[in-house]
Amino acid sequence: MSPESNFLGIPESIGPYVSGTRTAENRLDMDTSADRLLPAVAAFNKLGWGYLSAITGFDSGTAAPSDGHIEVLYHFCKGPSVATFRVKLPREDPSVPSIGALVPSAVMYERELAETMGVKVAGVSGEKRQFLSDDWPENVYPLRKDFTMESAAATREVGPAVGSGDEPGTFVIPIGPQHPALKEPGHFELAVDGEIVTHANIRLGYVHRGIEKGAEGRSWVHNIYLMERICGICSHIHATAYVLGVEALAGVVIPPRARAVRTIFCEMERIHSHLLWLGVSAHQAGFDTLFMYSWRDRETIMDLLEELSGNRVNYSVNLLGGVKYDIDAKAADSVRRGLDFLERRTKHYLKIVTSDESFLRRTRGVGAITFDQANLLGTVGPTARASGVSRDLRVEAPYLSYGDFPVRAVLDSRCDLEARFVVRINELFESYRLVREILDRMPESELAVPAPRKVPEGEVISRVEAPRGELFYYIRSSGGVKPDRVKVRTPSLCNWAAVLSVAVGHKLADIPMIVVGIDPCFSCNDRSISLRRRGAASPQAMTWEDLRDYGIRYYAGGGT
Amino acid sequence: MAQTLKSIPRALRGALDKAVLWSRINSPWLVHFNSGSCNGCDIEILATLAPRYDLERFGVKLQGSPRHADVLICTGPVTRLARERLLRTYEQMPVPKFVIAVGSCSITGGAFHGCYNIVGDIGDVIPVDIYVPGCPPRPEAIIDGVVQLLTKLKGTAAKKTPARKAAAGGTPPGGSP
Repeated sequence: MSPESNFLGIPESIGPYVSGTRTAENRLDMDTSADRLLPAVAAFNKLGWGYLSAITGFDSGTAAPSDGHIEVLYHFCKGPSVATFRVKLPREDPSVPSIGALVPSAVMYERELAETMGVKVAGVSGEKRQFLSDDWPENVYPLRKDFTMESAAATREVGPAVGSGDEPGTFVIPIGPQHPALKEPGHFELAVDGEIVTHANIRLGYVHRGIEKGAEGRSWVHNIYLMERICGICSHIHATAYVLGVEALAGVVIPPRARAVRTIFCEMERIHSHLLWLGVSAHQAGFDTLFMYSWRDRETIMDLLEELSGNRVNYSVNLLGGVKYDIDAKAADSVRRGLDFLERRTKHYLKIVTSDESFLRRTRGVGAITFDQANLLGTVGPTARASGVSRDLRVEAPYLSYGDFPVRAVLDSRCDLEARFVVRINELFESYRLVREILDRMPESELAVPAPRKVPEGEVISRVEAPRGELFYYIRSSGGVKPDRVKVRTPSLCNWAAVLSVAVGHKLADIPMIVVGIDPCFSCNDRSISLRRRGAASPQAMTWEDLRDYGIRYYAGGGT
Repeated sequence: MAQTLKSIPRALRGALDKAVLWSRINSPWLVHFNSGSCNGCDIEILATLAPRYDLERFGVKLQGSPRHADVLICTGPVTRLARERLLRTYEQMPVPKFVIAVGSCSITGGAFHGCYNIVGDIGDVIPVDIYVPGCPPRPEAIIDGVVQLLTKLKGTAAKKTPARKAAAGGTPPGGSP
């Protein structure tokens, strides 16, 4: 099946609601208007085609022809194909209807759109802040082109917090943002009825830095290093997604050896990230022995990354047009030795997480996200694959060297926390195999080709498989030395909806495990929430650590 | 506490002070706060506490509540939303308290300097005792930062390690309270 045939049937069903369609390689672009958006999406939904991957807002600014406009782009993805609904709005008072009733996962993206781009989304409240601070001034939208730092200096009055948790008989436990277990700030509010969670909410935005706007003020090359610092765990994959997009825009084809080196770093990063996650989630279960062992072994891969690139965390491997570092025979040998050791250890870990009785009591049958939920709520990455949803861009839309070195998607249909452990650990074996194979058949070529300083006008979507799932970049250039818009949709963001919905009905003691089960990464997804109350430290406040201790005590007492 | 101290004979008081300092240096408890970091430093701090680097051999313990902590170890630039929380965390800590700022962002804002949601670096919000530069700093550098803080508490920092102190930042004016 050719990629274009992926779109078969779409133009016919959507026809009445769109005013123009364009196709390009793996892209179907459909123009529609705000009043025809809902029927268009409804007709599209009936086809059961793909899932909503991101909503992008774009402001052309006032200097553009015809006094400028705002564009809202709804990207639906299926395998390598992206179908986009494009709605053009006036800059004065732009407004679109919410598609949340048709596509539940849209609400998060719509709130982000409303807050940063100032597009009113009917049916989505803009009153409560998602990721901008509560005192951010009204009617100041950072992603508008006419935004100035001076306009953000003002503050707005913050009213008294009111929320659904205030009903009599409901006990709300606020957690965070300072909670030591995850090392990242996020504020959770869990309404409980006795032991059982009846409502779960999260307020993110504590580490929202404004990178998308920052990217517009930096050159194409500067941005590689900025994107790398979106997340310190999956830094290479962010830079890779960005450079792949820019190279596609500029028409630069990188040499095969550079592709192989990038792929090796991607997989080594996945290894370090999954081992990190294994430790952190074992810690949540009170299994600190596994935490310490997996982190000890993780140092092996950190040493290898350092040997190859000179740094443990932000490797700075990517250039526009290639890579900086080669992997010579000596380095390849030490990588092989390191992987042999890790493979032995990983077999041991797989045995532990599938056989340790006390650990299984924390994971087996807990936090199940059914296939339908995972599909509907747009989960990605290992979280989706542990529910049997086969979403892995390395398999579906091979980029870099994944076409030459095919990956097997690791799936599990058990849907619970145990499945998430098994999937991630089995992915480690897949990564070991892949790195070894690429090292054995490294293509010979130069490492980089020149890339232009200015990138031709156009837009591109770049999607890669990060350790946590699909990473989505939308990059638009107006032909200058700086990007016009860089939109980043990170995998953790897709998975929050699933985690918050399965948390309800679980015991409070299971929540840390469920949350950490999706491998949440705050620094890259700090853009969405469903906010109910401002987090005021109250006498009943439990820290994350307290909650974890409580979980351990609860299970030590035999679940009573 | 002050009343209790006064009722202690003067001869004992000196010994008691020594004992308090000794225990402070030998068991500094850390509380960690991320005010906008990318995770790189946070994970390196955690790696520092893991078996390879084992910061706990200095008696350091990372624990949950700021109310039990002696040292606040901060990462990242300060975002608009996290500023109040950083202050609140700092204020909840008992005196004497010390601050270690880890990573380039916590010193200057780093790669995020100029982004709209960044209000400044850690030093703009709370007084910092030790800066550990790097993006992210290696675990050895973080250990060095902690050890320098402990050495400083002993009052011998300047004499023993002048070169390394300069490398790790030293103390800005208006240091710890």
